[in-house]
Amino acid sequence: MTAAAPSLPAILGPIRPRPRGRETRLLVIVAVTILVGSVSLELARRVTDPGESQGLSPANPLHLAIYLGLIGIAHVVLILSGRRMDQILLPATAMLGGISLLLMERLPQTQVVQSVGPWTLGLGDIQLAWLILSFSLATILAVTVRSDRWLRLYKYTWAAAGVGLLVATYFLGDDINGQRLSLSLGPISGQPAELLKVILVVFLAGYLSEYRPLLVEESTKVGPISLPPLPFLAPMVAMWAIALGLVVVQRDLGAALLFFTVFLCLLYAATGRVGYVVVGVVLFLAGSFVMYHLVATVQTRVDIWLDPFKSASGDGYQIVQSLYAFARGGLLGTGLGAGLPTVGGNLPIPAVHTDFPLAALGEELGLVGVMAILGLFLVVVERGLRIAASAADEFRALLAAGLALVIGTQALIIAAGNLKLIPLTGITLPFVSYGGSSLLVNGIIVGLLLALSDRGVEPPPPPRPRSRLARLTGRVTRLETPDRARAPLPPAREPGR
Amino acid sequence: MSAEGRTPARPKPLGQTIAHVGLALTVAFAGIALGAGYWQVLRSPDLSRAPDNPAVIAAARNVVRGLIVDRDGKVLASNKRSTTTGEPYRVYAHRSFSTVIGYATTDFGTAGLERSWNAELTGVSNRDPIGDVLRKFRSDPYDPQKLTLGISSALQQAAIDGLGDDRGAVVMLDPTTGEILALASTPTYDTNAIANPKTSRDAFAAILDDRSKPLLTRATQGQYVPGSVFKIVTAIAGVGSGKITATTTFANQPAAERDGLVVGGFRIHEHPGVPARSFNLAAATEWSSNIWYALAGMRTGGDNLVTFASRMGFGQALPFDLPTAASQVTGGGGGAPGGFADDTELANASYGQAETLVTPLQMALVAATVANGGTLMRPHLVIATTGRDGTRTIAPEQMAVVIDPDQASVIADAMQRAVESPIGEQFTTGAKVPGVPTAGKSGTAELGGSGAPHSWFIGFAPVDHPRVVIAVIVERGGRGGARAAPLAGDLMALFFKTFGR
Repeated sequence: MTAAAPSLPAILGPIRPRPRGRETRLLVIVAVTILVGSVSLELARRVTDPGESQGLSPANPLHLAIYLGLIGIAHVVLILSGRRMDQILLPATAMLGGISLLLMERLPQTQVVQSVGPWTLGLGDIQLAWLILSFSLATILAVTVRSDRWLRLYKYTWAAAGVGLLVATYFLGDDINGQRLSLSLGPISGQPAELLKVILVVFLAGYLSEYRPLLVEESTKVGPISLPPLPFLAPMVAMWAIALGLVVVQRDLGAALLFFTVFLCLLYAATGRVGYVVVGVVLFLAGSFVMYHLVATVQTRVDIWLDPFKSASGDGYQIVQSLYAFARGGLLGTGLGAGLPTVGGNLPIPAVHTDFPLAALGEELGLVGVMAILGLFLVVVERGLRIAASAADEFRALLAAGLALVIGTQALIIAAGNLKLIPLTGITLPFVSYGGSSLLVNGIIVGLLLALSDRGVEPPPPPRPRSRLARLTGRVTRLETPDRARAPLPPAREPGR
Repeated sequence: MSAEGRTPARPKPLGQTIAHVGLALTVAFAGIALGAGYWQVLRSPDLSRAPDNPAVIAAARNVVRGLIVDRDGKVLASNKRSTTTGEPYRVYAHRSFSTVIGYATTDFGTAGLERSWNAELTGVSNRDPIGDVLRKFRSDPYDPQKLTLGISSALQQAAIDGLGDDRGAVVMLDPTTGEILALASTPTYDTNAIANPKTSRDAFAAILDDRSKPLLTRATQGQYVPGSVFKIVTAIAGVGSGKITATTTFANQPAAERDGLVVGGFRIHEHPGVPARSFNLAAATEWSSNIWYALAGMRTGGDNLVTFASRMGFGQALPFDLPTAASQVTGGGGGAPGGFADDTELANASYGQAETLVTPLQMALVAATVANGGTLMRPHLVIATTGRDGTRTIAPEQMAVVIDPDQASVIADAMQRAVESPIGEQFTTGAKVPGVPTAGKSGTAELGGSGAPHSWFIGFAPVDHPRVVIAVIVERGGRGGARAAPLAGDLMALFFKTFGR
């Protein structure tokens, strides 16, 4: 590799504050909304007859103050950084995080209990800690990342690291419910698949931006379908294999679906070819069909999806309870804290804090609340895609689009699963679900998106010579031999050779 | 990017493709919102009432359930509080209602109306979307509803007493509204013992072990061979399809009364005592001629028979306040029209043997169809609910228009002769209500083997403007005229005595 070493993120330069008026106004709305929610929750707790315990936890005003204070600090730091960054992303995600905090405060704190030193932390405490870390990470990345070289230049390294994580999880991971999703490193454990999402987007953005012109060439014909030169199909097949591998090895259907969807979206964005997406969907369906017959987990999930009410007290229990929760909410909801009736002290949906937060919110905030939450995700996606569309070069565009798609697609998949629109897959609702890995990675995504949105960011490096691997693969295609001129390689590559 | 020369396939601008992706995601989010709307608005009422919905279960433990009263306001189900735990439990006034009202317990679930109307009785739903929205703004979200049944306690008790130690069922209803006046099934059981927390465990275990299956609501879930009462279904299908009229006769019928009718190699025999005369619809009905009805059924055709039967509810569970079993004309799956195996099965089904199975409620609906001029009203037990916001009356609802009024009156005349003519009277002894024109049809369901047949009767009165329809079955009760017909006559007489002419 002859490429320049990646420049480390520059530390804060001289402070030149730049006002962020829109962000300020939106954050005030967020703060007021969350405060109103917290008051409503407290009122619900007080009127609830203690005899019929709803499993309501006392709201902790300190938690809320810490959270809102943290968002305020993040806002001030962004102002002080003087960068011209997007002003919608932080308020939108802060709102989602605030809703999450309200929900986790309201659920029985014993859902998750951890002991750290002398303290025993409950659900709300831990979620607050992760939210703090997540938004801190977002802010730090937003302020410090001034170059994307460290992502751009090492796409294969990143890809290798991602696959390495996956392999490590398989061999070293902790077995929970027959799924091997988390990896422990000393006292810290996390789900590498979460980080893999970002790594994958980085790799895809790098790969697709480099080979974009070649991918559009039609050199392989399979019947009526035109495909890109065969070697460039390799990543598509590789993605497909990784997705299937996730299903077979880790039983992680949600991550598999997410990766593949994001991949197809990015492939379309890079090539504009609907045909590729069609081929991808066909591959996906074929893979799903085989998986359905080979992997018991997949079969169970699909059967539950087709008729959960048939096994309402067995396999279909959670999804049926989720639908009951949505139904109880109706149009306007029961009100925060007035839903989720407990029977014998048990929550109706055991995994409500990880997999079904939308069902809980759908019950307490109603259809109106669900629409608002979906709207927030749509806003995040829209901002991300907007950053992508106005990015300085293709890598950044695809990177920003991919990062936004990760959040948007993940929200879609779990929401659709909760609502029985697709088979349920256990992934988190970004920023809302309980879970450290997920929150941290979402923080990274927002931080990167904010950094990418700065028009003053370092200009992209000049197109660089193609890597050795690409030269190798390029030679195999027919492009090289008959008509070199067709290879849309810029002249700038010559000196680097 | 500066591509050299012509590029036959240039990628679309990224801005454009990214916008497409954005559009696709927006559509997907809209789809999710629609899905949420489906569950939260369209399906909300029925899912919120589901018995295994935790809101319903939680409410059932804490809320004092609404009362259940009969049509005169007499309390049938009320509440007491446990002296030990303070939790409320149910108290039932009459054992005769056990198979209708069922029971509600905290540990052994619910049955009967207590189950199907659980959401209203506990007050988590009142079947009124706007009311449900308003309910959320109240400090007490539970609004237990009082249920008013159309059943008359006097008729119900008389029906239970009339069945006595026999197993069987009685259904009485108002054909013009579909209101159920009595829904008796025997044996009954002690719902108080199940509802009382002190005795519920033992009582529940005993009921489950009881070989007479008292938990089975025979009136709605018992599937019986109908015998001759099914001839009314054949008459409805024949007259309704135009294949049969009041004057239809069959040339080969008189001889077959004596020698039997050969259909597909199978010989159908008449029951003893029927003369070898040519019958029309009325005569065939008063003599209860198997031969004439077999011929009528074959002329009507299997598909017509099944179609008209299904208009009255055959083939699927009936829409009702309690679980119902489906009645069937044929086991289905056969190659002949209507799903019959062959003409032999059709001919036998036409007079109620073969694969035909019916519930007492279904046969009451058949009689109600004739009584109400061919228009069937949906049967219902609960006629009103009363909560904080007042009383909601459950309006009569049309279930189907089966035949025309003049077609119905042809069959009604035949059924009146089956009860009131000197010949008919022999088969339906005791069904006639003194002083009231009465119509009906008895049935003797042969079960094979040595046991006594099931005794059936369906009928209505007064013939000119029917106010009460009845269906009676007494298991192993003998001929229709032996057990079911006199009981039906007594119960209809009691109806007119109670409610006037």
